[in-house]
Amino acid sequence: MLTLLAGGRVIDPVNGRDEAGDVWMRDGRIVDAPRETRPDATYDATGKIVMAGAIDIHSHIAGWNVNTARLLLPEYHRAAMARPATTPLSYAGWSTFETGGRYATMGFTTVVEPAVSPHYALHAHLELADTPIIDKATLAMLGNDDYLLSLLRAKESESAIEDYVAWVLEMSRSIGIKVVNPGGAAAFKENVRAFSLDDVVPHYGISSRQIVKALQRAVNKLGVPHPLHVHCNNLGLAGNVETALETIEAAEGLPLHLAHLQFYSYGSDGERGFSSAAARLAEAVNAAAAAVTVDVGQVMFGPTVTSSADVLRQFNARHRARPKKWLILDGDANGAGIVPYEYRRSDFYNAVQWAVGLELFLLIDDPERVFFTTDHPNGAPFTSYPEIFALLMSRDLRAKWIADLPSAAMAVTTLPSIRREYTLPEIAVMTRAAPARLFGLTDRGHLGAGAVADVAVYEDDADRAKMFRAAALVFKDGELVVRDGGVLRHTWGRALTVAPQRDRAVDRRMKDYYEERYGLADDLFKVPADALGRPEPFEVVPCRP
Amino acid sequence: MERAWVAGEPVQLDAAIAEAAKLVAASRQPLIAGLGADVAGVRAAISLAQRSGGVIDHMHAESLLRNLDVARSSGVMLTTPTEAEVHADTLLVAGPVRQTTLFQQLVSGSSRRTTGAKVRRIFWLCPESGTATAVAGRDSVNVVGRALRDLPAVLAALRACIVGRPIAKTAISVRTLEQLSRDLKASRFGVAIWTVAHVDALAIEMLCGLVDDLNAKTRFSTLPLPPADNALGALHACGWMTGLPMRTGFGRGHAHHDPWLFDSRRLIGGGETDCVIWISAYHAEAPPWREAPPTIALTADGAAFRVPPRVHIAVGVPAIDHPAIHYLPSTGTLSAVAASQPSTRISVADAISRIAASLPDDGARRC
Repeated sequence: MLTLLAGGRVIDPVNGRDEAGDVWMRDGRIVDAPRETRPDATYDATGKIVMAGAIDIHSHIAGWNVNTARLLLPEYHRAAMARPATTPLSYAGWSTFETGGRYATMGFTTVVEPAVSPHYALHAHLELADTPIIDKATLAMLGNDDYLLSLLRAKESESAIEDYVAWVLEMSRSIGIKVVNPGGAAAFKENVRAFSLDDVVPHYGISSRQIVKALQRAVNKLGVPHPLHVHCNNLGLAGNVETALETIEAAEGLPLHLAHLQFYSYGSDGERGFSSAAARLAEAVNAAAAAVTVDVGQVMFGPTVTSSADVLRQFNARHRARPKKWLILDGDANGAGIVPYEYRRSDFYNAVQWAVGLELFLLIDDPERVFFTTDHPNGAPFTSYPEIFALLMSRDLRAKWIADLPSAAMAVTTLPSIRREYTLPEIAVMTRAAPARLFGLTDRGHLGAGAVADVAVYEDDADRAKMFRAAALVFKDGELVVRDGGVLRHTWGRALTVAPQRDRAVDRRMKDYYEERYGLADDLFKVPADALGRPEPFEVVPCRP
Repeated sequence: MERAWVAGEPVQLDAAIAEAAKLVAASRQPLIAGLGADVAGVRAAISLAQRSGGVIDHMHAESLLRNLDVARSSGVMLTTPTEAEVHADTLLVAGPVRQTTLFQQLVSGSSRRTTGAKVRRIFWLCPESGTATAVAGRDSVNVVGRALRDLPAVLAALRACIVGRPIAKTAISVRTLEQLSRDLKASRFGVAIWTVAHVDALAIEMLCGLVDDLNAKTRFSTLPLPPADNALGALHACGWMTGLPMRTGFGRGHAHHDPWLFDSRRLIGGGETDCVIWISAYHAEAPPWREAPPTIALTADGAAFRVPPRVHIAVGVPAIDHPAIHYLPSTGTLSAVAASQPSTRISVADAISRIAASLPDDGARRC
């Protein structure tokens, strides 16, 4: 099957294209324009914008935490159903089926679920297997688990840690490793209520910094393309910019990704002791090595639910839930906290948070190092992305929003003074080219020959939110799946994984460990290849040699 | 060997599938109940309910939703069975508890905590049977109160005591409660345990509130013991596929959750369904009602029906006859388990998929 997408404005920064031109697809891949061959199907894209399918690097879309949030909040779903599409609650997108469809209609074709407890990996993959159209991947969480902390306490060799990390990646079928409030959840079980980078986990005697460094090293050494993904300590607290700055410094120039930086960009200035420190942090990111990357975790106004493996932070925030209900899980390693929340325009703190996210986007110079996220659903649901693109691309639109927000809040940020506007090629870098590179997906995020034929076509509408909300056409693996913002068919994507080499002796050690610690077979926590009931559920992404 | 019956007569599996499809196709609101199946079976059942505008319920929905209702209206601390086993130095058991392997392990084992006390302290409120120590197999169980009916008042008094409010005498003396309060506060990591089926919503809410209060100074969590028949696995599959728990109907063209409206017994009693698909692959449970519309029963061997089903297919038991993914009380999550005695007996998922494949095509999207 040869498909021609003809005459659109092709924006493909990886291949240096921004021009009116054609894109050819054959058997699920992009191909060069063939000679003397007529396409089996032609789609006219004249006047439209053509980009590779977008990649979301951090969105909580599947697994125990997300699903428990669904079960906790039936009213979100119910309320959404009765309302027209543009009202605030209509975003629920709450089942896996809706999730895949809604991502696809916005032109997203790959999404990373960033917080999977290794013991809940099968659950997460079952949900992802029921999430249509998009490809997906998971990050496995380590850093609060007894095994790693015990290795560090015993001063085991670096290779022992690497073998363990490789074992976890395989048993959980993940694409990378994330660490969430390193050591914080383990410390919380010992009744610690505040935990910073140089605090020590009781009993293990290991600091948060040591955990980060050990995992960063192991991930790098194994050749896993995605650097260690860090959710720092002290999320959401006034003055926590210091934690983020220390963590950036701790990267020591080696690859490290800091997640949802917006939640760590707070100073303690002003009458209320809460201010934006985004400018300072953006400066630090700009000055840091290129291997240090961040995503934003933009806040948008409206009801949502915060769902995080940062059990300590969620515990401390539980009584601020809107509506007043919450669930905190002391899990096998990280655990979880689900706290519904409503970001309000009239709320000083929420308005500062909204501005902080945009400041980071606009003050970090290189769109290859700042990634587009709302930390769905923590800052805002992913269905709010189109509005955020519009805000990034228009200072006039931002000025309108700023005029409606508490002036005291805007006064403790630099947002009103920022004039930068993102261009479409910059959006393409931030949401396509850079995410593919960050995960080692050489055949994604661009439209060169050999790339997976994931393509999004948008109307070139001056209303950028409208444009990005409903793609004109979306191709997944060369197949047309979305037309005029509506899903045409449900295909079943793959979960992307890595499989770094390891010394197989670790398998026996893990078997013994599970037997001794839990009295259970380690197999009971693994994700078997044939468990998901889809024809090709996984695709292995190569590690660096 | 396949075993299937139509109107009590043994038939080939194909004939039973065809008859079942005929019943579903003719139904205006099929009720899929029981739902004792592995995740694949539950998924197939939800898809069929979606496609046929039916209703999905589970035989243990009552107690599952009672527990869930507390979470969706207040706050809950929760832990995993594995974490309780490794970490808990104190257990607070409330009401009667089934003697599951997990429970036996928790109460009989000593703490695997690597710090603090090695011997787990157990306090048991209102065990009802009076045999709590025998059940626990330990002499050191501190039994407080007897009758389950006293539990809500005892919990309320205990909670008041924990936060330092004055209390009056309940079934338990003030002194005993004060001592218990001190003991609980002195724990390093305590876990409250109850059997979901045996404790009412107010007691659950009081327990959760009490645990939250204890967390002001120490660490405490809860471990409600869930019903059998993959009830939690079914709850989660309903959650991701529809966004909602069971007791959800699809007649309006979208998922609509209403624990009262879509209660199987009420639907049957009120004559609001014209076809029942009853699933019990784990325990050959028969439907609890005495009158019912035409029923398609997918059960393990040996179901004793009060109302003979129109179609009966003997299905395999998950993880015995065929490999399965389901909730395990020991892991506290969905686990893939191999078949212990593999057989050719059809799975719930396959039976329902074949019924669905025999329905007239309505052009709807398939999951």
